[in-house]
Amino acid sequence: MTKSQIDRLGERLKEGNLNEENLRLLDEYRRSFSHAYERVINIIRQNLNLEPTGRPTKSTQSIVQKLRRESIRLTQMQDVAGCRITVENVRAQEEAIRELATLFEKVSVSDRRRTPSHGYRAVHVVVRIDDIAVEVQVRTSLQHLWAELSEKLADVSVPEIKYGGGSVLERDYLARFSRVIAEVEIGEPEQDYPTIKRVLSDELRTMISYLSKLGSERKAKQNDLPH
Amino acid sequence: MIFLIDYDRTKGEIVTLRRFDESSKHEAADVRLELELSLHRQGIDREVVLLEAENEQAIRKTHRRYFENLEELAKTEL
Repeated sequence: MTKSQIDRLGERLKEGNLNEENLRLLDEYRRSFSHAYERVINIIRQNLNLEPTGRPTKSTQSIVQKLRRESIRLTQMQDVAGCRITVENVRAQEEAIRELATLFEKVSVSDRRRTPSHGYRAVHVVVRIDDIAVEVQVRTSLQHLWAELSEKLADVSVPEIKYGGGSVLERDYLARFSRVIAEVEIGEPEQDYPTIKRVLSDELRTMISYLSKLGSERKAKQNDLPH
Repeated sequence: MIFLIDYDRTKGEIVTLRRFDESSKHEAADVRLELELSLHRQGIDREVVLLEAENEQAIRKTHRRYFENLEELAKTEL
């Protein structure tokens, strides 16, 4: 497929034209990343004492949502193929990033720890093999927990929560949780660690019970609708 | 090992999980596409994704959202 054919496909997907032909073309495009993806995974496995979890191809849902959310073309998407590494703490994260930069020739680093994306903190290293981008996400365990919570909330509550949408309660909780994690990781927390843990856990439980209540109300409303 | 996950985002639950060994990468990709097309023909919107890891324990750690609900995630020791 040529670059313009791929970008035209991206436009059709963005418009919601997910017919069989387009799904097959997208599959063909995604498979063109397999060579670069395999090399990245193998190099990491052989040279770093870390076990990446690979995601050979981004899901169709995620690609379409990203095309709609961001003003990028399909050929500009850098995380069609990728993998994820989780490490214990910031020191191990820094070490992993340094090692990745020495292992690969063409590397660009997006550090979202100092400038989080709607609370999301992590480091994304984009590696290029034969001009094909493969994204390596490097997260600490706390950054990872935040990301998993945010993703899960987006699934079961409001999809936009990951990008600044959702209810005030959810948004505030995620923003506060992200800030506290940053303080803990930088080593300048305003409160002691047991207090932070207790406050965050209490807030999380409050939010979950709020979401359960909201879910029950929605179901009740649906049941009340005339059939 | 390769894992094919069919995930219902709105319910936050895995519908099916299939496992393939490393030598069956092409087969896994083919099955992924066929599953996606089949769901599309039925008008069902679900996330279909392939993940690759040393074992299932690894993907349960790096992709917890597929396997755990909010309450379970909330119980994580900080």
